[in-house]
Amino acid sequence: MVREMLTGNASAAWGARLADVDYVPSFPITPQTEIIENISSWIRDREMNAKFVTMDSEHSMITAAGTAAATGARVFTATSSQGLLYGMEMLYTISGWRVPLVLVNVARAISSPITLEPDHNDILAARDSGWIQIHVENCQEALDAVLMGYKISEDERVFLPVIVNLDGFYLSFTREPVEIPDQKDVKKFLPPFNRENGYFRASKPVSRGAALLGGTGYSFFKYQMHLSACNAISVYKGVAKEFKAIFGREYDTVERYEMDDAEYVIVMSNSFATKGKAAVHIMREKGHKVGLLKLRLIRPFPADDIINELLNRKGVAIIDQNIAPGSGGILYNEVCGCLYHSKERPNILLSVIGGLGGKDISQAEFEHIIDTIKKYHNKKKVPIKPILLFTEEDMKVTNNIIDIAGI
Amino acid sequence: MIRVRFHGRGGQGIKTASRILGTAAFLEGYYVQDAPLYGAERRGAPITAFDRISKEPVLERGIITNPDIIAIGDETLLNDAAANVFQGIRKGGIFFVNTHYEASHILERYCLPECKVIVHDVTDITINTVGKASVSATLAACICRITGTAGKEALINAIKKELKSIELKDETIDKNIEAAILCYDKMSEVPIETYRFNPVSGPKIIAVKHYLPPKGVAVIYAKGNTKKRKTGNWRLFKPCINYERCVRCGICFVSCPDGCISLDTDNYPVIEYANCKGCLICYEECSAKAIETKREVRTW
Amino acid sequence: MDRAKIYKNVKDINEEEFVLPGTPLCAGCGGLLALRLAYKVLGQKVVILNAAGCFTLLSTYPYTPFRSSWLYTAMACGPAGAQGIRDALDILIEKGSIPKEENLKVVVLTGDGSAYDIGLQSTSGAIHRNLDFYYICYDNEAFGNTGFQMASSSPYGSRTGTTQPSDAYPMATEQQKKDLFEIWRAHKPPYMATVSPAHPVDLSAKFKKASEYKGPKLFITLAPCPTGWGYGASRSNRIAKLAVECGIWPLKEAIEGKLKHTYIPKFKPVEEYLSLQGRYDHLFKPVRNDFTIKKIQKGIDRYWAPFLKLTSCKR
Repeated sequence: MVREMLTGNASAAWGARLADVDYVPSFPITPQTEIIENISSWIRDREMNAKFVTMDSEHSMITAAGTAAATGARVFTATSSQGLLYGMEMLYTISGWRVPLVLVNVARAISSPITLEPDHNDILAARDSGWIQIHVENCQEALDAVLMGYKISEDERVFLPVIVNLDGFYLSFTREPVEIPDQKDVKKFLPPFNRENGYFRASKPVSRGAALLGGTGYSFFKYQMHLSACNAISVYKGVAKEFKAIFGREYDTVERYEMDDAEYVIVMSNSFATKGKAAVHIMREKGHKVGLLKLRLIRPFPADDIINELLNRKGVAIIDQNIAPGSGGILYNEVCGCLYHSKERPNILLSVIGGLGGKDISQAEFEHIIDTIKKYHNKKKVPIKPILLFTEEDMKVTNNIIDIAGI
Repeated sequence: MIRVRFHGRGGQGIKTASRILGTAAFLEGYYVQDAPLYGAERRGAPITAFDRISKEPVLERGIITNPDIIAIGDETLLNDAAANVFQGIRKGGIFFVNTHYEASHILERYCLPECKVIVHDVTDITINTVGKASVSATLAACICRITGTAGKEALINAIKKELKSIELKDETIDKNIEAAILCYDKMSEVPIETYRFNPVSGPKIIAVKHYLPPKGVAVIYAKGNTKKRKTGNWRLFKPCINYERCVRCGICFVSCPDGCISLDTDNYPVIEYANCKGCLICYEECSAKAIETKREVRTW
Repeated sequence: MDRAKIYKNVKDINEEEFVLPGTPLCAGCGGLLALRLAYKVLGQKVVILNAAGCFTLLSTYPYTPFRSSWLYTAMACGPAGAQGIRDALDILIEKGSIPKEENLKVVVLTGDGSAYDIGLQSTSGAIHRNLDFYYICYDNEAFGNTGFQMASSSPYGSRTGTTQPSDAYPMATEQQKKDLFEIWRAHKPPYMATVSPAHPVDLSAKFKKASEYKGPKLFITLAPCPTGWGYGASRSNRIAKLAVECGIWPLKEAIEGKLKHTYIPKFKPVEEYLSLQGRYDHLFKPVRNDFTIKKIQKGIDRYWAPFLKLTSCKR
């Protein structure tokens, strides 16, 4: 085991390297490129025994990843934003093939307007694609989630592909000290992929992905995907336990920060959760009983764990770093949905939209969120419309650029 | 409401038959729904189409599992389990078959419940009058008459409208009308007891369990099992080899798209009829004229 | 594997079947015949990557006509899928994860709608990467599986569901068929050829020859389509032969980009070919459209002129 300063991208690449992957189809897109540059160098320098290929698009890249997995190779690939959307058809197709692999999505807000910094509209557009989704907060978690991803994906109770999501810029280009596990420990944690049955072999032909007409069989196999994805919760927990036993780091489906006696809770995900934790810390120092619940496993949605953490709280704010125009925050709706049947659910569930296009969320804004929840506490009418974190100063800046653009 | 389910083979005019019936009833002032079921069907493969005809607005959609009339455009479908033509057959319903056979023969052979079996050789009339075996107008005419949903004028207008929309020539349309009226006049109206939904016999919803692979994943481990589909049922004409004329050139063997012709140890071709779709390329290509064709009737 | 070392006549063609009967494809499908014949040379150690098209329905769960493997993928990415399988087999064999006896030939099966249009990018990519695979495009000259709409493979003068003849468009399809062969040839793959299901010896010989090359081996086969082209199913081979004899479907190959015609046709008037098909009916009825018929004939003549000159020089 060594500790090194690594970017989020390099950490993800190390995850693939340690997982001893066989195959890496790629297609460059900012901010993912460092991942594939690292891996291609390692392969060219014989530090990794795998095949690297540059495809002609993300659609082709995801296809090749899926077909190689269907041939029994351990496959790693990575993309971002527009690339994930361009390959979206194949995300659905491959999960239907029921083949294991890991794809890293380096989150970046979606065009148009095209932009460079992250939000989660790209990754959440894939939320119904049948892929397991693990969202990470820091560089260490990025490496570890890739390793855990293979173990979950290759478990026959799951047999669905996994996406690990890490934020562009905030993680992709940011260096932090990262523990790089020893290869022999990783081997213990992640044995070679069992490719006995159902792969393309001269001696054992199979047909995969065949058309299935009439709704009955289709319903059955689609529902099997759902049940397998649901299995991924307990499989995840088992894998996390093994991971802790070998590497000492613990990753539950959700992460609890200052939650024990928290009356007010902020729910959020990914790298901005670090900012959220800092804000909680400061508010705690001021005497506010505030906590933070970080969502790590987004698919399957760990509803039981979320319910357990949010019952009997006075108020909860869900910060969505995404926007579904005409609906609001995507995760807000999911969190509300899972709490409906609990009598002890919080009085207030506040929807907050922030961090779009990588826009910062300041301490003052976090405090404004808590103030807003408190304002509505004990009031009968609570707004269900989302609040956008957008200040007077932001409006001035915006007016200025609109003026320059000319009307 | 009268629910009609047509069964036929792709290319036979089944969808158009359902549309002619639908349009004719519409012209008579009924509320109507008609729809074909598209699936894997290709020319020659089983195809289904539906009509709902009602004096009240139609509050149903999709496939008809409890038809009042089942109209079979191709008798070979009776032996094709995949076509599922007997689904929802019941006492008091009508089972119409385009066939040479007598109704009593069909009743006995298939042990049908006490439904009314009506037979008519629609193909014969169509071939004789129109020259082709597309039974859209003639089959629709039979059902129009049996159900009493449309008079001759509405039927003729419906045939004109629907056959024009598939770009048939006026001359062909006129022949179809002629054949259709022949069929119409041969049939008579039959009182129909329409199906009533019985809430007691509803389906039982089960909790689907999770299955590990291989069962839970849609992978085919079998090899070459399309042979079980018996596409031989698609044939309208059958190629027959006259071995006295056969010169064993092998042209038929290399010309069969479906691989239904093999060579025996003496290099004579042998046709596998269970799956031969009756494309007749072998017949057309045989330079020795050693392949003859026969119309498929009374296949059972 | 096929027994024949060289293909001289029909008797050399492998009797073993690899695509078994009972598929849901139309009776008389020319594309299916081409596939059946090609398979006889390819043998059993094959995995097919099928891009969405008519042949999607070859394997309809729970049935498959194949004795070998199959993977169905989307319309744009047959060759990309082939890349993943080829690479996976190579690396797994290299790493010793699977024995080399388990190796397979990777074959992309695709219609013209995919090959000429939505799948062209991934095909270009695979040729550029020198992927070792076979690529079979069954060309029925329109989007057949959706009911026969115009594709860039549809010939000038043909009728499709989206290019119906009208007063303003008496020729029906106004564009010329895209020259996919030349687009491929610009990539200089080791082997490429056009074939026809009604020329089984030529087809077999070409697949045999292709097997000597590593890298992309690309085939476009004419796929006469009874439903889309509007003729009785029994005429598929007759029409395919006429396409060759009229010169509208040249049988050719290119090795490392070097072009050669494998058959010089008798140059029958193209009218003989057109008049048998419903998709060209509007050129003859109700009034004859000489302009369009002549333009089609001229296109053929112009195509062949330089090659015929070359041939006669050699003589």
